[in-house]
Amino acid sequence: MIEQYNHKLTNSFMLWFDNYLLTKGEAYTNHSGVTLEHYADERTDSDYKVYGSPYKQWVIDSSITGAIIPDGVVVGNTPTGSYNPSISGRENMAIDFDNGRALIKTSNENYDVTCDFSVKDFNLYFANETEEDLIVENKYTINSRIYPSVEAPIEPYDQVIPAVFFNTSTIQNKGFAFGGMEETTTTVTATVMSEDSYMLDGLLSIFADSRNELISVIPMSDHPFNEFNDLKSGTYNYKDLSKQYSKCNGLYINDVTTSKLTDRARKSLSNDIFVGFIDFEIQHHRFRHQ
Amino acid sequence: MKNLPRDVQEALRKQLPKVVKNDFRKIFKKEFDSLKKEMIKEFLSHPVTLEIIAGPNSTNISGTLNGNSNLFAFIGFSAGEEPIKPILEMLEKISFKDGGEANVGRNFSVDMPKANDIFAITPMPWATGRSWAKGIETGISGLGYLLNKSGRSSRSGVAIQVKNKVRGGGFSNKPYISALINKYENKFKELK
Repeated sequence: MIEQYNHKLTNSFMLWFDNYLLTKGEAYTNHSGVTLEHYADERTDSDYKVYGSPYKQWVIDSSITGAIIPDGVVVGNTPTGSYNPSISGRENMAIDFDNGRALIKTSNENYDVTCDFSVKDFNLYFANETEEDLIVENKYTINSRIYPSVEAPIEPYDQVIPAVFFNTSTIQNKGFAFGGMEETTTTVTATVMSEDSYMLDGLLSIFADSRNELISVIPMSDHPFNEFNDLKSGTYNYKDLSKQYSKCNGLYINDVTTSKLTDRARKSLSNDIFVGFIDFEIQHHRFRHQ
Repeated sequence: MKNLPRDVQEALRKQLPKVVKNDFRKIFKKEFDSLKKEMIKEFLSHPVTLEIIAGPNSTNISGTLNGNSNLFAFIGFSAGEEPIKPILEMLEKISFKDGGEANVGRNFSVDMPKANDIFAITPMPWATGRSWAKGIETGISGLGYLLNKSGRSSRSGVAIQVKNKVRGGGFSNKPYISALINKYENKFKELK
């Protein structure tokens, strides 16, 4: 299937949300010299060995001032030090930013691999689950950003918290102007799960102020990730990318409402997490028949 | 009027509005009260309103849950709560003001609440920043229902006994407050 409106909206919105949170909230933590340990992953190509960190979702956006975007890893016990941060590019390796790990084309499972990176304070996921599935029924690993209880690599692919889960719940078109222009209103719900109230309040506060923001419509072909969750072109800068697409005909945050799960309801949960909700009403004026 | 002497025309122009002011007000009030009554009646007879008023033992007459459970338990209200009351109070407070003379007759303005005003006074029991009344129009997750179930005792009193699994995905949105407000805003504008 070719790309549809909803695909573009989801892609554009998530890239914007990531940049907005990291810019306004400086919601990332820098880590230096973190040891990446080898673990087996059946899903990866057998030519690669996986070296993972204890943190998922590293920052990829180089427009974020102060964030460390790795361009390689340091391999300590190789004579050549062929994977060095000073060497740009991805020769014989890939960085899986989403799962917080390096994939190295080697048969050696005993490298001493270290890496400098920034990890997002909140992971971002596009979810198909309902809120009740996300909050009540799902079990999550808490991927603490500050004091990780275990320094071992975190399991790949599974969703971990603190995190924000997005869902586009309703889309509605109505006539807007002569010539067939329509106003498309999409409700995007973000369910926020946090380890503590401070972080939750901070995130809700940032996005409560996002009303009237304009978002460039970025097609999925310009999504920064390749099949390894590495950067397609080695670098990604949201501000530069969004400038390539006019905001004049972009998405518009018409309304935003934030709320938190009440303390009484929270006590009903089996896990001790803090939950909040952001309901975005996003409008786009477009000619859907063209 | 043209045939009348100029001083008589001037006297009429000045005095007539004062003389008929109360008559215009009476006529407008009668029509306003009738329309307001009609609006409240329509709100109270809406299937969603009826279902919520009926409380935790109601059946799903609104059809929002495909016949499973009922809105009172699904949203997560506590037994004894009266979620409709604040809306009713707001609708009952609708009034009009005399806006002064018009070219012919008098101007009256109606202080109609916006849908957002009603959404602001209808918080979800489990997330007070969200509105259940808005949720009827845009969708409600089954979170309130599940939280009720997973709590030590069901706050609605009966939600815990419902066997059918009621999920957010099974909620059918219905036109509710926004449609009512839009309809009567136009009707009030048409009052003459």
